[in-house]
Amino acid sequence: MRVKARFLVYVLFALLMLFSVAVVQAFAAVGCDLNDPDRDVARLFPDSTGYRTTYASIDKRGGEPLLRRVETRLGERFHGIYETIDVPYTIYAIYNGKRKVGYIHGVNQKGQFGGIQVFVALDMEGRIKSFYIQKMTSQWAKKLRGSRFGRQFTGLTLKDFEPYDPVTGKGSGKVAEIRNPAPEAETDFRAALRAVKKNLILMDEFVYATGEGKP
Amino acid sequence: MISRFQIAYKNLLRKKTRTLLTLVGIMLSSWVLVSLLGFNRGYEQALNRDIDNMGYQLMVMAKGCPYEAATMMLQGGTGLRYIEQSMVDSIVDKPEVDKVTPILMQAFFDPNKGDGGGIAGYFGIDPATFPAMKPFFRFRQGGWFRDDEAFEAVMGYEAAELEQREVGDMILVPEKNVQLKVVGILERTGTQDDGTIFAPLKTLQKISGIDKITTIGIKVKKDADSAKLEAALYQLPDVQVVSFTQVKETIMKLISTARVMVLSIAIIALLIAMVGVVNTILMSVLERKQEIGILKTMGAMPGDIFRLVWTETLILCASGGVAGIGLAFLFARLSDILVRRILPYAPGGELVAIDMRIACLTLAVIVVVGLLSGIYPAWQAGRVRPLESIRSEG
Amino acid sequence: MTARDGVSLEARGLTRVYRRGSEEIRALDGVSLTIRRGEFLSFMGPSGSGKTTLVNLLGCLDNPSEGELDLAGRSIFGGGKILGERDLTRIRREVFGYIFQNFYLIPTLTVRENVALPLAFYRKPGVEGEVERLLGMLGMEHRMDHLPGQISGGEMQRVAIARALVNRPEILLADEPTGNLDTKRSAEIGEILQELNRNAGLTIVMVTHNPGLARLGGRLIEMRDGRAYES
Repeated sequence: MRVKARFLVYVLFALLMLFSVAVVQAFAAVGCDLNDPDRDVARLFPDSTGYRTTYASIDKRGGEPLLRRVETRLGERFHGIYETIDVPYTIYAIYNGKRKVGYIHGVNQKGQFGGIQVFVALDMEGRIKSFYIQKMTSQWAKKLRGSRFGRQFTGLTLKDFEPYDPVTGKGSGKVAEIRNPAPEAETDFRAALRAVKKNLILMDEFVYATGEGKP
Repeated sequence: MISRFQIAYKNLLRKKTRTLLTLVGIMLSSWVLVSLLGFNRGYEQALNRDIDNMGYQLMVMAKGCPYEAATMMLQGGTGLRYIEQSMVDSIVDKPEVDKVTPILMQAFFDPNKGDGGGIAGYFGIDPATFPAMKPFFRFRQGGWFRDDEAFEAVMGYEAAELEQREVGDMILVPEKNVQLKVVGILERTGTQDDGTIFAPLKTLQKISGIDKITTIGIKVKKDADSAKLEAALYQLPDVQVVSFTQVKETIMKLISTARVMVLSIAIIALLIAMVGVVNTILMSVLERKQEIGILKTMGAMPGDIFRLVWTETLILCASGGVAGIGLAFLFARLSDILVRRILPYAPGGELVAIDMRIACLTLAVIVVVGLLSGIYPAWQAGRVRPLESIRSEG
Repeated sequence: MTARDGVSLEARGLTRVYRRGSEEIRALDGVSLTIRRGEFLSFMGPSGSGKTTLVNLLGCLDNPSEGELDLAGRSIFGGGKILGERDLTRIRREVFGYIFQNFYLIPTLTVRENVALPLAFYRKPGVEGEVERLLGMLGMEHRMDHLPGQISGGEMQRVAIARALVNRPEILLADEPTGNLDTKRSAEIGEILQELNRNAGLTIVMVTHNPGLARLGGRLIEMRDGRAYES
């Protein structure tokens, strides 16, 4: 008897664990956190000594006007039931001693078969140091999560992404030079680019333009 | 004019700090006691609610090492034990059975979920019988699949939220790389269904390459003899029967040891607080010996003095008790969060359910214990002889 | 309790013996006396003379080891009977009021509440309004809502007197009533006691060290080594 009941508790518990991420973020809208910030911060900023986590959302930082501005800069409206004005964004400010050395920020983006969690590590000028896909569901996920693809983003800034149009998937300048390593996953490739552009715009609005982006 | 109650209450005000500290002691112990009783009630209520929400009360599954199945879930892969689908027919005819539904549980490993990869869990269900088992399911978008061989899926609220899926989107079954179309997204249920992906049974069987099932969910007719049915089911070959009432009893037993321990601690806390009360009152009686003697010269009987001091004890305990209960009501939410952190399996809903009955019970306990402890100091006070207290020269 | 032949208290051969270990102390040694209604009697004597012991027995605060006491004709002590706390209390609250050297007012109650305190335990019929009347009579009506901490020593003793009289006792027992007061206040208290005795017919039995005060009453008894000597 006991053994059976324990089994059931394990099954229920296991199912609970399977979706523990979703359960934890069981609020109005789902945000995008690093699964293991201690490890990831050390990996993306090897000379860092610590980090501080803050949360921002469009509705709290500027409401409807801010949303319009972001959508205009992105070149596309926010759509769907998950890309809403109240989504919380997690911003990690990275420190070396008392000096700020950069930021890490992630956004959720709808991919072809599941959600894509796209993180960028930025320096104090807003240049991309690293590009990291924490989660993605696709047969070709390996290619888009590989270093050959990620390297193409290093050194790029928001300015480079401004000419990218997420609706058509076309751009010019440095952003047009980014190669898709998995042509079968064109939808997800474009989703990743949109995610980076949105990521950079939000960082500009929340951090760099406000004066928080000062060391 | 002054009443005896006012005399008692004003006596307590003479040493404000001392009275306050004693009050705090009683308040804390009454808070703990009432929160515990509330938790006892809340947990059982919530557990009952969770079990009702599962829809079926009995589950039949393959006999085998239970840990393998759990491990399967945790690591993904083989090791699951199956039962034949034909078993459904032998069960559905039993007189106690209301509804039956076959379920196939499968897990697939997704290497791209996080850095070490993760499991995706799927439930293969029969669209003809399963929805009837869960009549309280509501859809945020879309609805159930109707075709039992369609490559479609219904997602629980949180599963959909994590993947940013809406009706019409595709999902990919990892390992097998099969695409399913999302046709429904459920509203929150507060149970594990929120994290589950449902697909048609036949479809999942096709994808996994098995023609068996893992579980049969059984809804028992109201007022039917559940135990008799369980016994009958045991006769089926190679199966085990899990009853949720049993599960509930086992879970309750698992935490009952914890409950007894914590209840003992609460009682000890109460006794310690009471020792504080006795000490406070006794000290004040000793300090007031002269005054008590004078009261006796004014016509106060030993019984009057006894009642006076006893009233002081009553005021202390009642005020402390009421304050503690009030605090507990206020912090019931906080206690809820703390308890969930500690217990491994916490059902949904309000865990610490304090109602008037529990509050009155706690207050009664505290007042009674207080009055019992107050007997000795009050008796001592009553015995004071006026002469012992009034000493002047000669 | 009605008086008979105007006698309030009659004591015969009152003796009080204390045992300390194997030692026997005769605090009072066979004292007899009669107190009439309306008398103002003072006891004087050195420490240990037994004056307080005697007054305690007269005031039914204690049981004698030997001897008899009658109160208005009714036998209280005598014939070997020992009265318990409850019986003594019943007698006391009918007949006696007490004031002491240390006032013993309750610090968290106002003047008015202090005077009303005995009424919380026992109330004779017809004492409504006594609280205000007594405080007025003693010149304390403007202090009724003050706390003992806010009034002077002389005022506190007046409040104590009012409290002692609120249940209309027949006899007031005063143990060193001016012991904690200066000369001026002592004289004031003495005057008050005299007035109560003369105008209200209150029987007063007082213990004092103060010769001036002792003479106020008109009857003085000296105590020495447990025996009474009347002058």
